[in-house]
Amino acid sequence: MIMIKAVVRPEKSNEVMKSLFDAGYPAVTKIDVAGRGKQRGLKLGEVVYDELPKVLLMVVVPDLDKDYVVKAIMSSAKTGSKGSFGDGKIFVSEVEEVYTISSGVKETEEAA
Amino acid sequence: MKEVIAVIRANMINQTKNALLEMGFPAFTACKALGRGKRSVDFQVIEALDKNGSLSENPELLPSISQGGRLIPKRYLSIVVPSERVKDLVDTIMKINRTKQPGDGKIFVLPVKNVFRVRTGESGDAALDEMAV
Repeated sequence: MIMIKAVVRPEKSNEVMKSLFDAGYPAVTKIDVAGRGKQRGLKLGEVVYDELPKVLLMVVVPDLDKDYVVKAIMSSAKTGSKGSFGDGKIFVSEVEEVYTISSGVKETEEAA
Repeated sequence: MKEVIAVIRANMINQTKNALLEMGFPAFTACKALGRGKRSVDFQVIEALDKNGSLSENPELLPSISQGGRLIPKRYLSIVVPSERVKDLVDTIMKINRTKQPGDGKIFVLPVKNVFRVRTGESGDAALDEMAV
């Protein structure tokens, strides 16, 4: 299984959640976070904002669905046709085991 | 070393904390999160059913009316432990949090490449000695 963590604009998070739902991935965890990117935050005159509010979305999917989900997030989180600074990042990492607490079942690739 | 991420019911956090302490997992990171699972819940339908009493009489109705995309408040726990303690930890979380209803949460186990303790600069398993058996 693969965990996809996407840091996206807060105003885009609903759109991303919807596109994941429509793509068949209803299960998502959402956390409000703050962060800066390689542009070192925003500079407006003298003031530097380097803790920009973002939303972290966490989805766990079977290995084969990785590219499809990344594409779904990417297309819905982009602002404008080319995208712009601050649209966020997507991180992909490996998950070794997944358990559902209510049933105690260890999830497998096929069932997910 | 493995990172165990658990997304659990918000009201179970205290019981889980105590159980983890008893089992020798004192250290963890927690935050509030929102989430939805395979079946999301439509609260309006549930409220309506709850009012006329048909929900308490037929709890098996719950899964069938759980449609829609609303987010439910959850607690997110992240615990990094030595590989040989993963089973202990997963079993503990599972035992405490299981009500057998949908919404009890999920547990993910991820590999961790390395761990450092900032205070001393120790790395690897030495930095996780408080989690060791």
